Amino acid sequence: MEISKMFKRFPTLFPPIFKDCSYRLITNKLTWVLVAILMLPCALGLLVYYEFSGDRISEEVDGEKIYYTSSGELLHEDLRVLFLEISEYFGIGFIALLLGIMFSSELISEEYNLKTMQILRTSPIHPVEIFTYRYISGIITGVILLGLYSTLFYIIVMMGAGIYGILEEIGLLALVIKIVILNWIGFLSIFCAINVYFERPYLICFIYWLFWEQIMSGQNYQQITLTHYINSIIYDSLIEMGWSVTASDYGLVNSNNDTIATDPLISTFIILIVGISFIFIGSRGISSKQF
Amino acid sequence: MSTIIFEEVTKNYGRVQGISNVSLNIGPGVTGILGPNGAGKSTTMKVLLGLARPSIGSVYVNGVNPFDNFDLRNKIGFVPEYDCFYEHMSAVDYVSYFLMIHDFSKEEAVERAENSLIELGLQDSMYRKIRTYSRGMRQKTKVARATAFNPQILVLDEPFQGADPTTRHLLMEKINSWSEEGRTILISSHILHDVEYLTDNIILINNGRVLASGNRHEIRKLMSNIPIQIKISPIDKNQLRPLVKRMLDEKWITAGRLLENEGEIILETNESEKFYTEFPQILEDEKIIVEKIVSDDDTLDSLYSKLVEGKQWK
Repeated sequence: MEISKMFKRFPTLFPPIFKDCSYRLITNKLTWVLVAILMLPCALGLLVYYEFSGDRISEEVDGEKIYYTSSGELLHEDLRVLFLEISEYFGIGFIALLLGIMFSSELISEEYNLKTMQILRTSPIHPVEIFTYRYISGIITGVILLGLYSTLFYIIVMMGAGIYGILEEIGLLALVIKIVILNWIGFLSIFCAINVYFERPYLICFIYWLFWEQIMSGQNYQQITLTHYINSIIYDSLIEMGWSVTASDYGLVNSNNDTIATDPLISTFIILIVGISFIFIGSRGISSKQF
Repeated sequence: MSTIIFEEVTKNYGRVQGISNVSLNIGPGVTGILGPNGAGKSTTMKVLLGLARPSIGSVYVNGVNPFDNFDLRNKIGFVPEYDCFYEHMSAVDYVSYFLMIHDFSKEEAVERAENSLIELGLQDSMYRKIRTYSRGMRQKTKVARATAFNPQILVLDEPFQGADPTTRHLLMEKINSWSEEGRTILISSHILHDVEYLTDNIILINNGRVLASGNRHEIRKLMSNIPIQIKISPIDKNQLRPLVKRMLDEKWITAGRLLENEGEIILETNESEKFYTEFPQILEDEKIIVEKIVSDDDTLDSLYSKLVEGKQWK
């Protein structure tokens, strides 16, 4: 089947699959368990806000209320660090990764369990279409879910710094959402492909993430991991935003302590290439799988 | 001309053998594929559908290899034994989605899906979610999905499973009408009576090997070493003894049994055609009137028992 035909069929064939996939992902109990875990920092943020909001020092400049810590530093600059650090464990970190693994399993493995994949394999739909529709559905659902979560968490964390603080650091929220999108483009295609080839995808996905992404990303050859490119984008963006961070904060140094961060544009490009490559790898698995 | 050709096909799943050295030629019309559980029926169907690649041998459907040929999928409709639904879709959504995969426009797909489901008697429930369906309704939805695009070849794996008598009758009528339209229909069923009703062309398979294929009457004739049993009930039960004695005089009768309590005799012959030609004349000569002549050997059930269950060896 030609690529042009696939594009032509996309508006007709994608919406029902997106509806099906998003429904299955949203109604999955595990999704809500992970959402509940994601909500923990939000709840904690609210608690901290109501507990300590009275300790803030404020000053009105040009009609805007600016908040300071008790030591006289800008409060939003403190809170933004807190937001990013917690996000690195939740919205763009470990919990998001678990959500991605769970989504990929629901999108691909579940179709093998439901035997709908067998029916699709006897129908004139190309494996690239089968894989891509599910992959895109997963990205959209995941990004909406984590995007909304990150926005909510950002507001809860930053509301201590008032409207001024929320607006002042809005670029950080944009960066986190950008990372959510790139994370899902890169990792979800790898996880989905793992689901095509392996019978225990949860375990394999986790092993991949732990050994390849976590251990390798601190080494000299970290350019072979997606984490390196994600960290490069975060590092470069923070520098642009005027944060005082070093490459070693993000593990972007080799054993000689030389910075090995990759240009953010190239990083984005590589993440996209990885996403697309795994679409083809996963599709190949679907077409060659025997039942 | 054969639509489906298997040339010495063997399919192994690791160390487990699915089918072994299977050669088949299946043409238009209904062909029943019969065998016990684990005989290799599903593997045969999977190989034919391109879901599994033969370990050895070749398969051709419409002259092409079904595993690699994408266009062939527009010509084959498959009703699997198992459920394969997007449960929260309605039957119309589900069937029309697969029609859109077959390049029908959305409007045309919905119209065809509705017509197909109405034909199968699902008009009252076709907009309901599939997860609320009974087994019979699910079966009809599967059939609608597999047939709505008018495939040339239909592969039906246990299509009557879970169907009530009305649904079963309806499906049989449909299968007969599709067969009359010249389609090639391969049907697997545990209910031999249903297959017997639909076709005389059968493939008997056991332990991954084809035991026999072709017209079931022809197959039975070829089993000349296994005598055919015929039950005869004369109206006058006093004629039971003279009749069995008279019949044993004929060389082509190999054995006779008198069942006085049942009021019948059982004759065994290797030459059924000769029996049916000469027996009326014998009755006329002996002035015996019979009320019933039955040969259970002519049924598919009997043939299945002999070949698959190995009753001929007992």
